[in-house]
Amino acid sequence: MNGPMQLRMLAAVAVVLALLAAVAGSPNRATSRSTSAASLDAASLAREIEHEEDHVTARELAEWIRADKPGLRVLDIRSDSEFATYHIPSAERMSLPEVASRAPAAGETLVLYSEGGAHAAQAWVLLRARGHEHVYFLRGGLLDWMEDVMNPIVSGDSAAHFSALSRYFGGVPRAPSGAPGATPMLPAPSPRDAAASAVARVRRRGC
Amino acid sequence: MSAPLPLAESSSAPAMLVALSIGLAFGWCLERSGLGSARKLMGQFQLTDLTVFKVMFTAIVTAMLGLFWLSWLGVLDLDRVYLPETFLVPQLAGGVIFGAGMALAGLCPGTSCVAAVTGRVDGLTVVAGFFIGVLGSGVLLPSMQRFYLSTPRGGYTLATLFGVPQGVVVAAIAAIALAGFVAAERVERWRATRAAEVTS
Repeated sequence: MNGPMQLRMLAAVAVVLALLAAVAGSPNRATSRSTSAASLDAASLAREIEHEEDHVTARELAEWIRADKPGLRVLDIRSDSEFATYHIPSAERMSLPEVASRAPAAGETLVLYSEGGAHAAQAWVLLRARGHEHVYFLRGGLLDWMEDVMNPIVSGDSAAHFSALSRYFGGVPRAPSGAPGATPMLPAPSPRDAAASAVARVRRRGC
Repeated sequence: MSAPLPLAESSSAPAMLVALSIGLAFGWCLERSGLGSARKLMGQFQLTDLTVFKVMFTAIVTAMLGLFWLSWLGVLDLDRVYLPETFLVPQLAGGVIFGAGMALAGLCPGTSCVAAVTGRVDGLTVVAGFFIGVLGSGVLLPSMQRFYLSTPRGGYTLATLFGVPQGVVVAAIAAIALAGFVAAERVERWRATRAAEVTS
């Protein structure tokens, strides 16, 4: 297998494949299609919205971040000061105009969030219209994140899973208030760390 | 979600099996290429044995041509091949540290595992150091997060940098590799004759 003849053959195959590659055009037809047709296909967007393919829930997003989903970028489109107060771990701050002018990049999955969800949903439409394929907005925005990830009420079979998910982000899971035995089921860490106090701050702001 | 082939979503059992078998094949190839020995890497730095360069560049060219053509034929979705994001300065710094460690150890992460399982003590030592390093940087990460995330460039490729089609980059890299192989053989022969002259 290591004769000079075979090596030359392999090298020749590599040369031919490489030369053909130079003139073969894009290896990825899907990408070139989505970037060239940067027009708003209203009907298909409407279908996606109807089928609820346009958003992720806070728990889904938390699972994605914890699993280090490849290509995931979480974009915070609130103001700088709000971002500084608290943001979802791994999120990057990006203003709405910056988001709207982004060119699609291969392999990227964008998740947008704002305080409630309206701005992120609007940005979703802008990005889909620009040809971004994998873009979602966080349903319910940061408020849902606080409610369902940072301070969730957990019960039933998935309680342990969601408690672990919440604590991964520094959250404080709660048992249902009417639960028998009044909650020592989930020993809550004292709200000493930054995340917990940030949660408290955002909650106080009146959500 | 990282599985580019239509086999399975990541973290499912089939995806793990695929990953395991690819890993085993990779390790086996490294071992068969002789890279489990730190002497190979020392030969690389002393220009007496350029196996490391040749093996690595062969792997790059093979994977590159494979990905390009499998994607072109529609077998594989290039969009779902994970493209690590570029953070220019921190990654340059990381590269310097990595290179220094590699020169010191004579092994890189992959070959240190190969060396360890073939019973080499230096391999085991490097693997141990490797895990201590991973743990240490994990612990220190929050304090250097600013630096870690500085100069971001997103998913950055040579094709975007030079503004040419991916196929042209593929052809250029293959040409550089083949020229490199020819040069490497020359260098090895030159060092061999010089060594012969010195000893005779």
